[in-house]
Amino acid sequence: MKLTFSKLVKKYLIPYGLQASAFLSTVILISPIIWMVSTSLKKESEVFDRPPVWIPSEISFDSYFRIMNGFVANILYNSILVALLAAIIATVVGALTAYALSRFPIPGKSTIMLFFLSSLAFPIPLLMMSMYILLMKLGLLDTYLSMIIGHTVITLPITVWLMKNFIDQIPKEIEEAAYVEGASFFRIIFFIVFPLSMPALTASALFVFVTSWNELFFGLSFISSPDLRTVPVGISQSFLQEFKTDWTGMMSLAVIVTIPIGIIFVFLQKSFLRGMIAGSVKG
Amino acid sequence: MYSLKNNKLLLLTLCLPATFIVAVFIIYPIANGVYMSFTDASPLRPNSKFVGLENYKYLFKDDVYWQVLGNTLFIIGVATILAMLISVGLALLLNNAIRFSGLYRSLIFQTWVVPWIVIAILWGWIFNTDYGLVNGTLTQYGLIENQIDWLFNGRNAQWAIILCFAWRSIPFLMVIMLAALQGISSEVLDAAEVDGAKYWQKTFKVTLPLIQNISLAAALMQGVRMFQEMTLPFVLTEGGPMNSTMVLSMYSYNLAFDSWDFALAATVGSLWLVMLVLFGAFYLKTVVREM
Repeated sequence: MKLTFSKLVKKYLIPYGLQASAFLSTVILISPIIWMVSTSLKKESEVFDRPPVWIPSEISFDSYFRIMNGFVANILYNSILVALLAAIIATVVGALTAYALSRFPIPGKSTIMLFFLSSLAFPIPLLMMSMYILLMKLGLLDTYLSMIIGHTVITLPITVWLMKNFIDQIPKEIEEAAYVEGASFFRIIFFIVFPLSMPALTASALFVFVTSWNELFFGLSFISSPDLRTVPVGISQSFLQEFKTDWTGMMSLAVIVTIPIGIIFVFLQKSFLRGMIAGSVKG
Repeated sequence: MYSLKNNKLLLLTLCLPATFIVAVFIIYPIANGVYMSFTDASPLRPNSKFVGLENYKYLFKDDVYWQVLGNTLFIIGVATILAMLISVGLALLLNNAIRFSGLYRSLIFQTWVVPWIVIAILWGWIFNTDYGLVNGTLTQYGLIENQIDWLFNGRNAQWAIILCFAWRSIPFLMVIMLAALQGISSEVLDAAEVDGAKYWQKTFKVTLPLIQNISLAAALMQGVRMFQEMTLPFVLTEGGPMNSTMVLSMYSYNLAFDSWDFALAATVGSLWLVMLVLFGAFYLKTVVREM
């Protein structure tokens, strides 16, 4: 009898218990996001109901139409532009440097890598002050470029770090063979090394894009024209004042500005994680 | 290798862009920042003069600075430990052969995608005193009778921030932990099983010690990185009430771009840099050496 009981536990209780706890923890962890989406789809009348209503009795997109205007389109456009350019610049520059660090005998290599790694934690306000003065002197304050530079600077060290650790694992023999065949260095880099490092390139570019999409303070201090505001700047500078107690409106906007990154991630998550892990755990 | 080693021109071309960016926008600003901490620099003043250690003396006597430093260490320390415990638990759970574990993993990772500004608005809504989800749920299950004043009471506001920082750190830490767990060779675990180890013994005596170093490294990295995070307190609580959620980065930012006191902001930044260097030395000595 005792034996069958323990068999029963092994066969049913443990697998179902594990399944249940995995399901529950996932639901709890993503509940804030579910709540965000749920609120955004509610009718005004249901928002303040107690106890909290998770599934709206009637799905309504009113709040989305209410907040969708030129302002939202403008901040989305600005953020996409800045994040895309920063991602391209930081990834390409980082990849070239990473290739050099991986293949050339450069003195003090480990110190350089350590510097790049530690810049992950640099006091950003300290960087921003001198950058502010510098950009002011160059007449670049209040331009897209000032934000692109800011976002490139804070992410470049990570892209170098990720790319270097990845390129280290690509066998040199392929490049050597191509070189013997007479291919030029830049052909080798752009047509052999980069395609082979796709996961790391994706991870770097995504990391920069997400960081830029998130970044509030460069935009806040470098930009004064309302037209150039990115998503976080626009939301904190004007939207929050305007829509203070309009929770369905605010949650709709929250959903809208999360969607671009969400979509990218749905497609690239696997490759992103592969590149991130190869780059960080190996290091 | 092929003649790459001798191709100085190629090396230069490859490294030039990054070297330029790093020199002009990282090394120079840091050096200049440290210099500014010894002056009375401000963009409102055309010329600044050298004042020696005056800024440091002022800061060390300033109660707000110590309060901010204490807040920051408390919030980040507790959030990191919390996130670490949950992440290791989750990683152990999802590392089992459960159905849908890939789906759970990617769903949990989605929380990393939500922008900070969205989290700041969302947290304001969830922790709203009268209509928020947290108070609503706690009341629904009879856990509280009076609504908790989450964002307008110092200690509570700190916990709201801690929960958020922890929540946000979990996906990334979990992914690293999972990678570490998958890196453990099954031979070691099989050997333990042959020796008659139960699941819990295997976990605590074999698995966890094996991922200890990676866990520690990941937790330290995550903690140090959280020092830069200021969007949430900036938007959600504006550092309040009474500076209780004012973190170091936001304090320095406000000094610089709100009071335009670059000198004092640079002093806060320089002291932060000193902490970072000390921390780095500790990290290299203890964590990396053992890896």
